[in-house]
This record gives sequence, structure tokens and C-alpha cells, in this order.
Amino acid sequence: MTAWLLAIAMVIAMIRRVEVYTAFTAGAREGMETAMRILPGLAAIFVALRMLEASGLMHALCGALAPVAAWLGLPEGVMPLLLLRPLSGSASLGMLADILRQYGPDSRMGLVASAMMGSGETVMYTCALYLAAAGVKKSRYIIPASLLGWIVGCAVAGCFFRA
Amino acid sequence: MNAVFCIMIAAAFGYAAIGGNLDAVTHAAVQAGGDALQTVLGLLGGFMLFGGVMKLLEEAGTVRALVRWLKRPLRWVFGSQAGEDALGATALNLSANMLGMGNAATPMGLRAARLLQPAGQIAASAPLCMLLVINATSVQLYPSSVIAMRYAAGSAAPETIVLPTLVASTSATAVGMAVCWLCERKRRQ
Repeated sequence: MTAWLLAIAMVIAMIRRVEVYTAFTAGAREGMETAMRILPGLAAIFVALRMLEASGLMHALCGALAPVAAWLGLPEGVMPLLLLRPLSGSASLGMLADILRQYGPDSRMGLVASAMMGSGETVMYTCALYLAAAGVKKSRYIIPASLLGWIVGCAVAGCFFRA
Repeated sequence: MNAVFCIMIAAAFGYAAIGGNLDAVTHAAVQAGGDALQTVLGLLGGFMLFGGVMKLLEEAGTVRALVRWLKRPLRWVFGSQAGEDALGATALNLSANMLGMGNAATPMGLRAARLLQPAGQIAASAPLCMLLVINATSVQLYPSSVIAMRYAAGSAAPETIVLPTLVASTSATAVGMAVCWLCERKRRQ
């Protein structure tokens, strides 16, 4: 599919008379900059996550959240991702990397976590940024509505990969 | 995020100190930085590839095509108060978001937010609430950074998650929009 995507993008770009090579390299530079930009956040969250894992608290936390996870139809190991995704993009990407490494990308846990990560946004950051730009002080129901959507999205992601 | 990070570190330290496995925690902390670098190196190739492909799509006018598709449903969602300018910015913002082009989406989104909010009003207007909720639960057509990450992790089928992601994110947006609609209706009664 990736090869198809590349081929199709190139053909459309050629038809539209885009300088394909120039555009591709410009995009690749942006991709590289994104990867480098998330590195510090990734390092910070890895430190915190590994410490939580080594201390045994992560295990206890997942155990405590297991009933909620079961109710949502999710494996309990993705619960920290459910909590972290709305707060930070690079931190949740780091958490996803950790889950993929630990359980494997094609395990149920890896698949559910991947689908969740893709279907969420950094709710808190987005809201803060946009509200500040619009000069708004009262966010009304925006955050509860977004978080409810996120949780339902997670449950739907879980439905696709039943144990 | 500041508070979350501090709580995570303090909790891990406290729990380990009580449990008596501080050595393991220290070891884990020291290793983490190197692991972060390795993860980013693994991601770099995929990010550059998808960055290039997305740029090609962008310059070829796919965003503009999506905008044309979105205009009519958006007019219906945002109602008649929203001006042509605001709808245009919103359509651009949501299209770029759907394709995972965060960098391109944000400036347009901020513009849309300013245009949808009446000046001098402290509480978020109904259209602004709708814009934010749709943004915060954004539909994902192709989650390229997750796919890059799955490639880097050695997945046999990195793209199996495209359809589940699309359905899950669409459900999230639908639920968010429904809540907005219900809240506004309740307020008007």
C-alpha cells in the first residue's frame, strides 16, 4: 500500500506539473525535522515510563485500571496510553513505541494501541492553543465532549481486534 | 504535562524506594535516553518517506480537492452565521488534519477559530466549540506516523490499522459532534 501511495502521489503530482523531486525532498526534510523535534519529549517520557515499569508501579496501575479496560473492551496494557494521549503527542508516541517493542506490533496489544494512537489528538494542547488564539476564557463543554469522543474511539479500536 | 511528568517520576521513585528496587529503577532511567535516540533513528526513514509523499499530495492539490468535498457538509454543520472566509479556513484546517499534516493544519485552524468567535465574547461560541471538538477528535485517513512506527518495530503488516483507525476516529468525531449538538439544544430550550 505504501508503494501504491507513493506511485499514485507521484503520478498525480506529475499531472499537476509539480516538481516531484523538489517537493519530495522538501517533505522529507519536514519529516526529519518532526522526528528530531519529538526526540527530547520521547527521552523524557521513556525515562518516566521505564522508571514506572522497573518500580512495579506500572503493573499495579494497569491492574487497578483493569475493570475499566474490561468494560471498554480494551486490553489493560493500553490504559496508560488512553490517559496520556490527550496530554502529549510526543509522550504518547513514546508510549506506543514502548508497547510495540514490549508486546510486538502485530500482537493484539500492539494493534489496539496503534489504532488508538492514530485516532486520537492532543486534546488538551489543541484546546489551549485554539482558545488562546480566539481570545476565549470559558471552554464550556469542549473538553468533556472531546474526551468522550476519544474514549468511544478507543473502544471502537478495541472492537476491531478481539482477543 | 509538567505535573504529569513530575508525578510519574515521584511515584516511580517512591514506589521503588518502598519496594526496595531503586537499583533497577536507576538502571532503567539511565538506559531510557539511549532508547529514545534509537527509536527516533528507527523512525527517521519512515518519517522522511511519508513526509515526502504527503508533500507531493499536498502540492498536487489533494488538500484543495478535499476542501471542495467538505464545503457543503460544513455549511450544514456550522449553519448560516459562519461566513465564507471562516468556512474556507475551517475546510482547509480539517482537510490537512485528516491527511495527518499537522504543520499545515494549525495556522489555518487558528485563523478559523478567530473568524468563528464573535469579538469580545468570553465564552466559546457554538461554532467554535464545534470546530475544536472536530479538531480534537479528527478523522484520520492515513495515520502515517503510526505506520512509520509500526514499520520501525518490524511489523509484518504495518497498514492493517488504517481501516480500524479511520472507523475509530470517525466514531470519535461523531460522538463529539453529537455532544456539541445536544449541549447547544439544551441551552436554547
